[in-house]
Amino acid sequence: MASADKPVDTEYSRPTSSAQAPAGVDLFKFDVILRFLLFAASLVSVVVIVTGNETKYLPRPRPAKFRYSPAFVYFVAALSVVGLYSIITTLASLFAIKNPALKAKLLLYFILWDALILGIIASATGTAGGVAYVGLKGNKHVDWEKICNVYDKFCRHVGASVAVALFGSIVTVLLIWISAYSLHSRVPK
Amino acid sequence: MTTHTKTNLDGVHSDVKVVEKPTKERSHDLFLRFLGLSLTLVATILVGVDNQTKVISYAEMKFRATAKWEYMSAMVFFVVSNAIACSYAAASLVITVMARSSGTRKSDFTDLVITALDLVLMALLFSANGAACAVGLIAQKGNKHLQWMKVCDVFDTYCRHMTAALVLSIIGSSVFLLLVLHSVLKLHYRSRS
Repeated sequence: MASADKPVDTEYSRPTSSAQAPAGVDLFKFDVILRFLLFAASLVSVVVIVTGNETKYLPRPRPAKFRYSPAFVYFVAALSVVGLYSIITTLASLFAIKNPALKAKLLLYFILWDALILGIIASATGTAGGVAYVGLKGNKHVDWEKICNVYDKFCRHVGASVAVALFGSIVTVLLIWISAYSLHSRVPK
Repeated sequence: MTTHTKTNLDGVHSDVKVVEKPTKERSHDLFLRFLGLSLTLVATILVGVDNQTKVISYAEMKFRATAKWEYMSAMVFFVVSNAIACSYAAASLVITVMARSSGTRKSDFTDLVITALDLVLMALLFSANGAACAVGLIAQKGNKHLQWMKVCDVFDTYCRHMTAALVLSIIGSSVFLLLVLHSVLKLHYRSRS
């Protein structure tokens, strides 16, 4: 009967030994800055290549627009998607700085979506760069003449746009590196 | 292992040791690395050795024209990056196997570095695929605004082989993407346990 006075064991009221995940490294400030850089890079790329139309009279007026090559159309579309994505994730990252409880969950989603966006922006850069290189140097084996000696302003715009998109893809790689390092530092030893 | 003290209704104390089961180590990434290695290897070899020579008669002159990968810069970029991806897949396969067998503490940092390099190679492969696809599309359809004529009606076998190699390389680059996602998911589950 003495056992009846014993308190019911702590099986139900035992404090759970909450394994507090180590806080890890918090690099969300760099995250916001890099995402804003990505947004700026994609915006600049799209604007520069869209305003690069040029018309030369040889003697008939022959324009050069980005719409005349499917590679450049894909480039503009892909970079527009990247720009929209970077706006959304910049806002999400700012929101995560205010509510630190979201950070752990947000890291995984950031890495997953950033990896997809890296694939998109890298392929857009390669596509436009490949076609621009053929336009710059020509290719005598298949009889494709170079056009950059005639359309110099168009070629300058395309070249600058591809260079800024390359910078944007490097920024995306850095973003994923930062998020992976933050996730790695949260692993309990 | 945690020790609980359970009290039965009879008041008998017993110490119970609970052994926590270790989380299962997923090792699908070795298979993925081997798949990526084989796909990029086949794509490289297919483009590297393929050529086609045709005799073209134009204004009563006959001349031979050859289609090879060296004659187009985008194809050079394609072959070089597939070769780099293939050798990286082989090297990272060896390094991952060695790091896994040595222990968990050191293999964490190695896994992180390998994931970072996987990411860079994935981006390189994607851009090489984009360049080869764009140039192949111009070769297939021509571009009348820029006065670039299509050549795939002449070199039809070569174009078919290029398309096959491009498809293989696209699958190979998505295998690299899956590798990155797999490593990140593994990190995420370990950081939550």
